[in-house]
Amino acid sequence: MRTRIVKVLSAHYASDFRVTLQSRRRRLLLAGVLSLPFVGLARAEDVLHLYNWNNYIGTETLARFEAVCGCRIKQDYYSDNEEMLAKLEAGAVGYDLLVPTGNAVESLVRRGALRPIERARLPHFANLRREFLDPWFDPGNRYSVPYATSITLIGYNIGKMRELGLPTDTWALIFEPKHLEKIRGRVTVLNSQRELMAAAMRYLGHSMRSTAPAQWEEAKHLILRAKPYWATFSNSTYIKDLAVGNIWVAHGYSNDMFRAREDARAAGRSFAIGFSTPKEGAVLAVDSFVIHKSGARPNLAHRFIDFMLEGHNAADVSNLIGAGNTNAAAAAHIRPEIAAEPAIFPSPAALANLEMLRDFDPTMRRRLSRMWTEIKVR
Amino acid sequence: MAAARTQPAGLTKWAVTLPPTVFLLAFFLLPALIVVAASFREPGEFGGLAPWPAHSLDAYRFLFGDVIYLEIFARSFLVAALTTTICIVLAYPLAWLIARSPARRRDLLVLLVILPFASNFLVRIYAWIMLLGPANLLYTPFAVIVGMVYVHLPFMILPLYTNLEKHDPALLEAAQDLGASAWTRFWRVTFPLSLPGIFSGSALVFIPVLGMFAVPELLGGTGDVLIGNLIKEQFLDNRDWPLGSALSIMLTALVLALAGITAWAARRGLHGTEAVS
Repeated sequence: MRTRIVKVLSAHYASDFRVTLQSRRRRLLLAGVLSLPFVGLARAEDVLHLYNWNNYIGTETLARFEAVCGCRIKQDYYSDNEEMLAKLEAGAVGYDLLVPTGNAVESLVRRGALRPIERARLPHFANLRREFLDPWFDPGNRYSVPYATSITLIGYNIGKMRELGLPTDTWALIFEPKHLEKIRGRVTVLNSQRELMAAAMRYLGHSMRSTAPAQWEEAKHLILRAKPYWATFSNSTYIKDLAVGNIWVAHGYSNDMFRAREDARAAGRSFAIGFSTPKEGAVLAVDSFVIHKSGARPNLAHRFIDFMLEGHNAADVSNLIGAGNTNAAAAAHIRPEIAAEPAIFPSPAALANLEMLRDFDPTMRRRLSRMWTEIKVR
Repeated sequence: MAAARTQPAGLTKWAVTLPPTVFLLAFFLLPALIVVAASFREPGEFGGLAPWPAHSLDAYRFLFGDVIYLEIFARSFLVAALTTTICIVLAYPLAWLIARSPARRRDLLVLLVILPFASNFLVRIYAWIMLLGPANLLYTPFAVIVGMVYVHLPFMILPLYTNLEKHDPALLEAAQDLGASAWTRFWRVTFPLSLPGIFSGSALVFIPVLGMFAVPELLGGTGDVLIGNLIKEQFLDNRDWPLGSALSIMLTALVLALAGITAWAARRGLHGTEAVS
């Protein structure tokens, strides 16, 4: 879900040679470009522009809203907060709604890129669970309305873990050589300095918001000791690798593990995929709706947010991709086996043990990047 | 009369050369200068650049204060050199065969060489994941080289073919008449004449490989990080534009230096063969 590279590259490489190859296609393309303004004129209806994670709002949910509002929703997708921020930074305009993660919300608020939320337009705001309100990245929810959550955790092949007698509720599984010896080359970890080092920090008992260089050095050494046992750093291929059985343990996002589990089930594999949150604590990501200043339809955006706050609409994202939910009224509409999954809906105690990623200042970012480069090279 | 004839020729020259010149200035030189400027700025609190007056040499100090970045540069150049060498070895016989096949079949063969471009680059790399996975070769340096060679091979075949196609067969016949063996004919006639093709093919392969980050990211293992990945990381994950810019500048400078050396060597090499013949 969060691989940035796919989109960046397909745009970059796909176009290069095809066009020059076939002049007929070029002519078609030209005709298409020329007719664009007329298409715009022909459909002078309301359009709400969403810049969103891929597959983050169900198509039926969207269709229901389109029927209610008599408008059309047009979505663009990003696979990474950084990709979204970079595109906006480069001057992309016209998006009404975005769905950034906490630290990206903070960044957008600080840049003054967001419109304040008008609470009076959101009668269903009261449906939100109190523990997700008033977050550090947007005190008082002036700019953001929480939508869905995910946890960065460990997914695994249940059969293999039982067979090898390995613990699945601790980061030790991906960091301790005594466990890794049994699964050498069958482990992938996220190709993300922030996520992987955060996991190492929690395993060592440190906060992932620590700014003490010595603690981060400790995390680096822990990672370097474990690295020879890992197959690769992977941000997306682990879903397939887990579901097929190439990989037995993966560090990744709960939504992705949910998908790997469903895929393995659908393919009728002889093994099952499980996932659990390490007891040492993990990264929690809360994605929220925000209204971008450059959007043309703030009123429609408010209407959409309120629509998504209704219980049965809010529940769709959990049923669709196994995302955690920030909406109390959604609970009744979520499939029981998903609602009962502690790695998707953590208990209050488990929730208190999760941390959200925060952005560091530029000096600290550079220092961590230097450590990450060393991790990659050594 | 003569003066009247040269004037429109001069105008035509301008009309022909102006658009590409403007294009290059606007879309190559200007962005390159922006990157140079960015490398001397300071990173912004939330990505981008810090407000204008803030500037420093920190990015360069950071890069040169540490052997680890040079190590990645060295590794990237090694991968690029290896990829280029393998591409030459694989592409030469193929380009030669195409150039020597009947004229009406050549276009079809060239089309087949370009055909992979009709499908998306990433789809083709994912296909390699499927192929290398069961063979236990995925996530290795070998997989990275395979991917790099696969992606860039056509860029070596095409310039080589264009060069080889133009060779006058009479030269080889003459050499044969004078008693040169097949090997001597290749080494003393065909190969020296094909050097420009090899050089341009090498430039088309070597330089893009240096900047390629997708292949190591998708096919490489835990140690396969190249300069392209490092630059991408600075701009996206780490939001450190000055450091990313400084890395880009270093890469550009090294590539330009290398291109200069190659051009110089090529000219010397060509003069050398002229002197022999």
